[in-house]
Amino acid sequence: MSNSSPFVHDARPTGQVMRLVSFALLPGILAEIYFLGWGVVVNLLLCSFYALSAEAFILKLRKRPVKPTLSDNSALLTGLLIALAIPPILPWWMSLVGVWFAIIFAKQLYGGLGFNPFNPAMVGYVLLLISFPVEMTSWLPSTELTNTELANSPGFLQSLQLIFLGTTNEGLNLQNFRQLADGYTMATPLDESKTAFSLGLMTSEIIGSEQFFPNMSGWIWINLCFLIGGLFLLFSRLIRWQIPVSMLISLFVTATFLNLIDNELFLPGWFHLLSGATMIGAFFIATDPVSAATTPKGRIIYGAAIGFLIIIIRTFGGYPDAVAFSVLLLNIATPTIDHYTKPKVYGSKTEIDADV
Amino acid sequence: MIKVTDIISFAKHQISGGIHPKEFKSISNKKAIEYLPLANELVIPIPHNLSENQLGVSVGDSVSIGEKLLSLGSDFFSSQIHAPCDGNITVITDKNIGHPSNLPMPSFVIKTKAVESPEKTKMDADASSRHWLNIESIDLVQKIYDSGIVGLGGAVFPTHIKLNSSINKVKTLIVNGMECEPYITCDDRLLREHSAEILQGALISAKIVGAESILFGIEDNKPQAIRSLATEIERHTNHPENNLFLANIKIIVAKTKYPSGGEKQLIQLLTGLEVPQNKYPVSLGIIVQNIATLYAINDAVNYGNSLTQRLVTITGDLVEEPGNYWVAFGTPLSHIVSTMKIDSEKVSDIILGGPLMGQTVTDLNIPTQKSTNCIIFNANRSASTSIDHTECIRCSECESACPVNLLPQQLYWFAKSEQWEALEQQNIFDCIECGACSYVCPSEIPLVNYYRFAKSEIKHLDSKQAQSEIAKMRFENREKRLARIKAEREEKRRKTAEARKLAANKSTPNEKQHDPDGKKSAIEAALERVKQKKENHMGKTSLE
Repeated sequence: MSNSSPFVHDARPTGQVMRLVSFALLPGILAEIYFLGWGVVVNLLLCSFYALSAEAFILKLRKRPVKPTLSDNSALLTGLLIALAIPPILPWWMSLVGVWFAIIFAKQLYGGLGFNPFNPAMVGYVLLLISFPVEMTSWLPSTELTNTELANSPGFLQSLQLIFLGTTNEGLNLQNFRQLADGYTMATPLDESKTAFSLGLMTSEIIGSEQFFPNMSGWIWINLCFLIGGLFLLFSRLIRWQIPVSMLISLFVTATFLNLIDNELFLPGWFHLLSGATMIGAFFIATDPVSAATTPKGRIIYGAAIGFLIIIIRTFGGYPDAVAFSVLLLNIATPTIDHYTKPKVYGSKTEIDADV
Repeated sequence: MIKVTDIISFAKHQISGGIHPKEFKSISNKKAIEYLPLANELVIPIPHNLSENQLGVSVGDSVSIGEKLLSLGSDFFSSQIHAPCDGNITVITDKNIGHPSNLPMPSFVIKTKAVESPEKTKMDADASSRHWLNIESIDLVQKIYDSGIVGLGGAVFPTHIKLNSSINKVKTLIVNGMECEPYITCDDRLLREHSAEILQGALISAKIVGAESILFGIEDNKPQAIRSLATEIERHTNHPENNLFLANIKIIVAKTKYPSGGEKQLIQLLTGLEVPQNKYPVSLGIIVQNIATLYAINDAVNYGNSLTQRLVTITGDLVEEPGNYWVAFGTPLSHIVSTMKIDSEKVSDIILGGPLMGQTVTDLNIPTQKSTNCIIFNANRSASTSIDHTECIRCSECESACPVNLLPQQLYWFAKSEQWEALEQQNIFDCIECGACSYVCPSEIPLVNYYRFAKSEIKHLDSKQAQSEIAKMRFENREKRLARIKAEREEKRRKTAEARKLAANKSTPNEKQHDPDGKKSAIEAALERVKQKKENHMGKTSLE
């Protein structure tokens, strides 16, 4: 085997690729910590630990070498992505269930890295979302709101206590922290607008409300920071442009189209572009190479379909966000997309431009 | 007057994919070409498709340089081999010649006669012979055939067949001077030092096939070679007495990129045309020849020299004087190791050819052959990908590197799961095995290995399929034949029966008409006889 060409090789090893992708998450991580509080840090630590322990555990069971596989950093990345996707205060055992399910069922039972048809992080996330819908949508209000008014965001110790015990020393629970000074419980802008529409409110009333922008600005910053990390991925050639670009364009176009039909019933394109998991989804989740379409044309179709589905589900579906659902739906379609989008190989073109 | 600047232009087209591996060319391209001293013993493998009676010499014969070792008769599809030196055939035996299968091949072993210096073995120009311009194409092809010239770029396809099948079918001769693989510099040095001979070879080839233009494709990492050739073309074109049959000679410089030197890639780069799938360049009116092949053609046509040696790049960090050397065919690697003062203890494996498409060998008895353009002696083991690679994450790096626009990640997936039909749908047979995909793979998967395996497996299955098709046809034919014989026999019997009846009818024509079998008449006759008997009997009794 060893005496077969080529004898030279030059590439970033898989472990390094995953490590760089994790580094690219940093701006987004910092933004989430700043706007959502210390719970994010606790979640990141917990989920990384869960992910690595789950991977080690299942590899032992499968009698596979543990260390080389752990050092490909793919489990770590799955853990980080789940930590960034779940609300900052989530009972410790829920994140455990999500991460272990992602690593063991969505990844290793299919054969490990490279064999999973679905994005493991999103499988874990969706399992949690369907099983614990209340906890999974109980987001803390952006610190922009809490720090300026009477309510406080939980500190590091308080976050630890909330995650592990459910209450702090002072006897406060998550709901206490979610309430603003006036007793109003705040949710993410996507969730807020969903509730508002169901109450018969109009887009102008939602966006015009006093608390909209302070709450929204945190999510705008978080999305912009993931965008920065995503651009780093793009320019260091760790991901290809097709999926994020086609996904963002299609998401914006679909939202704008609906908004043009009735701007009081549908939120504007910029809102969808900068809220929820749009940017982390476009650059870090939909681009997971293992489960995404792999042909150049196929990647464009794949990204565009995800962007379209996100708006459809966000607008007409039962859940406030839809990145995970859309990505998983398109994971199913990946083999079909790849089959029908094979590039034209050398010599198969019928038209040729000659100048001999 | 044509100026150098008119001759050189830059490639307007490009190939898809490609990689930029580290070149390592400066190791060997600094030094002028030299002759490697002759080895004591040369090993010349005998092509495996030949029968014993096609050997032109036998053990004990003394041979002189350029003497044919085969008597091919009218076998135009093989290529001639010649004695690379004066000497004696000591034995014809199986030798390891570095075939990828590692199987030994029958070979001539020639004990060389000492020569003072190898340069002297070259013949002088044959002044008496006619100028090639006045020789018919077909005779020039014959001359090239007699000289044993094959494609020296690495594929060793017989040049006479390529030229012969292109006569009056091509408009453009493309000369491959890309030399895109790392380490190799023999075409570079040959162009720098022998551009006149190469141009002659190109003109002869163009004349043979009737090409109107000659395009030299050279990568931009060989500026001296480009300058040397451009000067030569300028001189040639500006002398009208030289310019008897063709005018349009150009050098097209391309950006250095691997694998621009692949035949199909070079055509795409220079012309923007793609050779259609399953077809040859001749279908586009193009023929491609390598620099070294053209040099050999000039040597054969203008000097009457057979192909007995080639320029070989001897390089690597263990070589004291790396460079390009004329090496007689059949020279064992051990001779190169000792002559070049290479520390054989330190050599891990030797690469024949380039590091991307060559092969590694460990046996120092292996001889150089017509395809050996480069020998690399490195102390460090070549960074080959291994069987225990990590898994494919479909990162698509390979897809961006593929010059043929394949999806190597999909090919790998289907090859690993042995889905042969899917592989054929993915056009695996368009893979040129350039190794660019393996080079960029973050999981260090030996992708080309998988493709080679899959290709041979598919071919094997196809031939089995064809065989069973033939067997089925044979069986069906046999069934048909048996049925036919049976029917014929039946027919024959029927005919004889009829003939017999006819004969019987002739004797009693009236009865026969109502009684074709004769049964009825027989019964009637029998009844008649009984009646007669009875009546006789009754008559008797009444008489009593």
